[in-house]
Amino acid sequence: MISTPVLGVIILIYLMVIFYLGWLGYKKTTESDDYMVAGRKIHPYILALSYGATFISTSAIIGFGGAAGALGMGLLWLAFMNILVGIFIAFVLFGSRTRRLGLNLGAVTFPELLGRRFQSRFIQGFSGALIGIFMPLYAGIVLIGGARFLEATLNINYDIAVLILTIIVAAYVITGGLIAVMYTDALQGSLMFIGMIFLLAFTYIKLGGITAAHSALTAMNDLVPQSLAAGGHLGWTSMPEFGSPIWWTLVSTLVLGVGIGVLAQPQLAVRFMTVRNDAALNRAVLVGGPFILMMTGVAFTVGALSNVYFYQTTEMISVAVAGGNTDLIMPAFINSAMPETFVILFMLTLLAAAMSTLSSQFHTMGTSIGHDFYREFLKRGDLGQTINITKVAIAITILASVILAYILPISIIARATAIFFGLCAAAFLPMYTGALFWKRMTREGAIASLLVGTFSSLFWLAFVHKAEAAPLGISKALFGVETILTGTWTVVDPILVATPLAFITAIVVSLLTKPTPKEHLDACFKR
Amino acid sequence: MLGIDDPQIWLAYILCFVSAVGCMIYGALKWNDGSDDPEVEA
Repeated sequence: MISTPVLGVIILIYLMVIFYLGWLGYKKTTESDDYMVAGRKIHPYILALSYGATFISTSAIIGFGGAAGALGMGLLWLAFMNILVGIFIAFVLFGSRTRRLGLNLGAVTFPELLGRRFQSRFIQGFSGALIGIFMPLYAGIVLIGGARFLEATLNINYDIAVLILTIIVAAYVITGGLIAVMYTDALQGSLMFIGMIFLLAFTYIKLGGITAAHSALTAMNDLVPQSLAAGGHLGWTSMPEFGSPIWWTLVSTLVLGVGIGVLAQPQLAVRFMTVRNDAALNRAVLVGGPFILMMTGVAFTVGALSNVYFYQTTEMISVAVAGGNTDLIMPAFINSAMPETFVILFMLTLLAAAMSTLSSQFHTMGTSIGHDFYREFLKRGDLGQTINITKVAIAITILASVILAYILPISIIARATAIFFGLCAAAFLPMYTGALFWKRMTREGAIASLLVGTFSSLFWLAFVHKAEAAPLGISKALFGVETILTGTWTVVDPILVATPLAFITAIVVSLLTKPTPKEHLDACFKR
Repeated sequence: MLGIDDPQIWLAYILCFVSAVGCMIYGALKWNDGSDDPEVEA
């Protein structure tokens, strides 16, 4: 066990730097554009690290790393998607158009960008409310990750850990806005990068090299527990059996759900509007690609390889060591396999990962309710009580996240992230893609796709996708069955059903309705 | 390859590196592209 005073001092220094950066953000924030989109002149390096650190939370490292400990290296397909879609396609195809459209329309949030492009306050208000209601689920699990870490390392009560983390992050988000969020993100991203490099190096050294480590894991194929083997698990260095329940979970929920869902994440899309020009976006790609490789690529590889270490030392596989809770695989591995000084560094890495994601979530939830829903939708653009409402909204959504952090069940981290990413993909992706790339898309088409995407996704979650439908119990209460469809359908993720449905709706309804006036399109795409 | 038998896995492993390096090359080649784009003050 590492010494608590040493760790305490290091965390204190870290927090002082964070507060300094938060104060810097506060000083630089003089107008609303600063608070909402960091004045549109963020440095490319800060953009790349802030985007990456927000994208990658503790849930990606702990939750998904743990999932790789159970399911194996097939999760590397998600790491590949994270780089190709999450960085390259996001910055090069979506980023540059988002930046210009945001600038032309004077939009300061993701819902506002969509609302103004389609000249609809409903789109802005509904999107804002959707984010305000469902993002606490995602923020809640990030809080769980961060608080569990504080609990274990500082030997403090979990409930107190949740409160401490919340208060610290809320303090600099509320006062310093997006500038504070992005500055602190950049520091946190740098810490995460260093931490993960060490984690990868130590793991391979410990297990005798790259090929030796992989070979040892391949040799463990016959140790897959009966329960997982029955679901299609063929070993940690093999893809699950094609079409089996585990294959569907891996491919549809994890790889596609999270891999594609990232494109329509409001807290990430808003970042494209924070830079001066397209060169900044190009330069950010250079930093972003390797950054994500070192995050998810390392977490998934190390998560899977933890099986080798545990088998060599305890003759048990990782899931067994963690008592069945995959969220505990990574912490258990790091605590028992890594040198003491590294444990401290890694603790800081995880704290940074949690805080960088949380800060952006708090900022996005607050502006969604205060700016998008209240000011633009309810008050029709009138300032009214916006500032107070935004603060109250931040407080309420944070409270909801904290409550969720107390009540969500174990092994939920990876799944809750996927639920939120999937919902965003279905609700926003067709409309967002159309807004940027298809001038023929109409307001009616956008509204229809937003509603169809949202409700078909929620319907599938509540009534068909067994992993959520069974614990929710809504289907059971209404129809007396856990899921209203059976067989393979119950393991197909909502994103695979709802997103295509929303895309089709967007296209059909747009073609059937009157095109957007040319003057408005000219205003949208003038430069 | 690399101690992994299933091509579906080592392919993913290699693609992760290839895509990250691809991002670096893209960023370096396009370093100054778009630096005279409309800016905030424009």
